[in-house]
Amino acid sequence: MKNKINIYLIEFAINAILRQKYKSLFVAVVFILLTFLLTSVFFITNSIKYELNSTVEALPEIIIQKTEAGRVQNIDVAEVDRILAVKGVSDAYARVWGYYYFENAGVNFSIVGVDKFENQYKNSLAKIVDRFDFGEADSPLMIIGKGVHESMKKNYYKEYFNFIKSDGTLKKVTIAGVFDGDTQLESNDMIVMSKETFREIFNMPQTKATDIVVKVANSSEIATVVSKLKLIYPNSSIITKESIKVSYQNIFNYKSGLFLALFIISLFTFFIVIYDKVSGLSSEEKREVGILKAIGWRVDDVLKEKFYEAAIISLFSYIVGVGLAMAFVYLFQAPILRDIFVGYSELKPSFELPFVFDIQTLFLVFFLSVPIYIAATIIPSWRVATLEADEVIR
Amino acid sequence: MLLSPEVLALLILNVIFFLFAIIAFILSVKIFLKWDLNSTSQAQYKLEKQSFLTATIIKYIFIIKVPLFLFFIFTLDKISGLLTGAMCAAGVVNATSYGTYLILLKILNLYLFAYWLALHNEDMKHEHQPYTKMKFGIFIAAFFLLMTEIILEGVMFKAIDIEKVVDCCGAIYSSSANSYISVIFRLKASLLLVLFYGNFLLIVIFYFLKKRYIFALSNAFFIIISLITLISFFGTYIYQLPTHHCPFCFLQKDYYYIGYFIYIFLFIGTFYGLLSGFLRTSEKEISKNYKIALLFNFLYVILLTSYPILFYIKNGVWL
Repeated sequence: MKNKINIYLIEFAINAILRQKYKSLFVAVVFILLTFLLTSVFFITNSIKYELNSTVEALPEIIIQKTEAGRVQNIDVAEVDRILAVKGVSDAYARVWGYYYFENAGVNFSIVGVDKFENQYKNSLAKIVDRFDFGEADSPLMIIGKGVHESMKKNYYKEYFNFIKSDGTLKKVTIAGVFDGDTQLESNDMIVMSKETFREIFNMPQTKATDIVVKVANSSEIATVVSKLKLIYPNSSIITKESIKVSYQNIFNYKSGLFLALFIISLFTFFIVIYDKVSGLSSEEKREVGILKAIGWRVDDVLKEKFYEAAIISLFSYIVGVGLAMAFVYLFQAPILRDIFVGYSELKPSFELPFVFDIQTLFLVFFLSVPIYIAATIIPSWRVATLEADEVIR
Repeated sequence: MLLSPEVLALLILNVIFFLFAIIAFILSVKIFLKWDLNSTSQAQYKLEKQSFLTATIIKYIFIIKVPLFLFFIFTLDKISGLLTGAMCAAGVVNATSYGTYLILLKILNLYLFAYWLALHNEDMKHEHQPYTKMKFGIFIAAFFLLMTEIILEGVMFKAIDIEKVVDCCGAIYSSSANSYISVIFRLKASLLLVLFYGNFLLIVIFYFLKKRYIFALSNAFFIIISLITLISFFGTYIYQLPTHHCPFCFLQKDYYYIGYFIYIFLFIGTFYGLLSGFLRTSEKEISKNYKIALLFNFLYVILLTSYPILFYIKNGVWL
């Protein structure tokens, strides 16, 4: 049943492509652009997803937020003891964190308050606490992320920063150092300072915390612990790591899906352009087919040759397109395209896209380009192949 | 669910199949009704030309469909991460009431289209094209199956609800489940194995006896018995877990994608086995079909048998 691949026919197809230089070039350029764009988008989403997922890995298993009338409120620090009493919970921490809007640069800093003598809920934080000192209450220090450092420098805050407190007075905090997080996405906009300084800036009482994170030793017990916590705090929102992961996945599926949905129009246009290009036969091509048929080629042979042509052009363009996309995304960090996915915030985009090789993306792009191209050439090729020899040579 | 990129890609290709299949269908009906090789009329001449287009379209659909089927399974595996409770494609298939039928239909269509191609190739070898009417008749039937498949696929992906909790494969393929699957587990493993190896032995015997129809028939049985033993017996050795029977999990990376090999071997082997019975060709072709069928069925048996044997060598006990 298998037809052997005919090498002479392939050679003939390559020569046929080269004979129609401009037409082939045009088709190849359009095709390369298409695969390039598609592959770049999928590479970018994959990389960002990877970054985010590694951030999520570092997150605690369960987060408890107190809500009142649907809004998140500060939670009592004393609740930690009640949570620790729940069987299966290995540890619980009251977190103190929030966003500070820096008007001059138009950015939000995420500020995390830590206590030097407490266990940290995250390894990256524990490292920072080990390395740096947070100073005394009247001369506080802070550690800032790279992006924060940049934006402060631009506004001439090189050694310290003045936070505006809720009563309107200023709080001067000295910059003790700049840190690199495990992942850029996580740490770029982060400021770490002591809990006291944090409470002073945001006017948060000692008995309150932003939320409580819970660690569960056995990951298969998480669901049970969550249901127990739900009974204790019926009106609070309890977020698990799994649910965050799934929602990330959904967001990115949605984003790239939406892109692809808009892209359908391009695919359709592509189909029509190819159809049109391949249909438009020059008299020379017609004569060529006429001669071939006159010397004994069957319709099937001409069709096969046309199929080889289409396969060679599409595979070549696909490989070039994917290669260009790889260079564009991973060498040049996808200059304009990634803003679609990262957003325009000044602090966010300054991370590197990590190299994630996902073979499925390649298949996905393959199925979105090569079959569509070949489909567009079927009917025109058939038209060519069934031309009458005597009519065209005449 | 429709907006995830993989699903969209599948749907876009389905739309192309849909459009082209309709063209092929209309032409097929025309050819099926009016084909007369002895006629020298303009109409017959036109039909002959159109038969090439139809054949090319069907070939195209089949050639894309084969890798697309693997991509489809891959996609189901990927989606399973989004559904609460699902751990592999089995959960996604079971998430809606259409999933099982869709998979069965897809497999049926693969066999049908592959058969069509074999018939077409045979047809083109003869000057008088003896099978032309028959092959386009078969396509008319296959067209409706293809349309059902395309519609069902769209409906299934639309119906998948991310919020809903679905069953994991461990629950679906457990012996306590109250479904038709659980009937398999009531059968004794030893009996199934005797059937499985016995069936394979029959294939080998009829290979040497060259009995076409019985060879094809034993291949047809081999598909069924292979799938049953795969779920009830061999699967547990692949997972090295006596309670895990899922026929989808071993398609995943954790088992080195071995499932793709298993199913491809089974498909090629049994397809050529069936082909030898359904297609009358030259002696040379038939013996080639016999050989391919035997080779891939043999590979399938060897591959699956190696799992329990290796397990026994390593652990000294059977599961």
